[in-house]
Amino acid sequence: MGEITGVSALRAALAAEDAAIYGYGVAGAHLSGGRQAAAEQYWERHNKARDTLTAMIYALGAQPVTAQASYSLPFPVHDGTSAMALAAYIEDGVTRAYLGIVAVSDQRLRDFGALAMQNSAERAAYWRGSTQAFPGLAP
Amino acid sequence: MPDILPRRRTLLASAATLPLLLATAGCRSSDVFTGPDPLAGRPRPAPDVITLAAVIAAEENLISLYRTALAGDSAATARSSDLPALLAQHEQHLTRLRARLIQPPGTATAAASPRPSAKPSAAAPARVTIARLCAAERASAAGLVRRLATVEPALAQLFASIAASDATHVTVLGG
Repeated sequence: MGEITGVSALRAALAAEDAAIYGYGVAGAHLSGGRQAAAEQYWERHNKARDTLTAMIYALGAQPVTAQASYSLPFPVHDGTSAMALAAYIEDGVTRAYLGIVAVSDQRLRDFGALAMQNSAERAAYWRGSTQAFPGLAP
Repeated sequence: MPDILPRRRTLLASAATLPLLLATAGCRSSDVFTGPDPLAGRPRPAPDVITLAAVIAAEENLISLYRTALAGDSAATARSSDLPALLAQHEQHLTRLRARLIQPPGTATAAASPRPSAKPSAAAPARVTIARLCAAERASAAGLVRRLATVEPALAQLFASIAASDATHVTVLGG
């Protein structure tokens, strides 16, 4: 496997954030009360993360990836339970993407990726209702 | 057994004189062997190994705290129903960390038991509160992130994943 570059890892994280923004739009429509408020809050955080990653990619002299118009959902979402499952699924994907940044050689990017993983893992635990031993890694 | 003793003494004498022979021949043992000098003692562990051993020790201490908390008064440790699951995840952390450590047989780290002792370590307090566990989880996560720059990529990813797990534990514990 070739060396993971900072730009490629950041682009992968940006793609995950774009997918998360789309997915939360779907999930939020099936949530209510405190869950919906949480979905809105997390949707805003993903938007901010997208902006941060975009700026980081530009700062490295590269072009960011473009968000897709729509994304395929891993399973049908039709109620609150499936909406929360989708949100957890999304956050797991974001965690995996930031784990990729941890593998680059730049120390600052490693720290950035590790801290971002903690945020997405916490959100995933919120939606799932349980924690995991190895967020982002295969069990 | 008279036949054996003389041969054994001969072998021992030969082994003792080998360095002398090499020295008088003007060469070091490393000139004869292509690898590290076998007479120079055990080589120092690589930085990754030292770091991994320290992380393993920290995880063992965290497990000890959880065991002490679980053994304590459940009324004093609110949310104690969450503790067994969190402890189980720390035990998974320890298993995977130990699997990454390869030490020659007989070294202190390699001699560690597969599972932590059921008894808390001698340094563990008699009673551990939820607040204490929260602080320990935060310290564990922060410590792992600090070590990311010092290890190779795959190990850094394992550290980051465990740190993320520790961060979720803080939330569960109400921290």
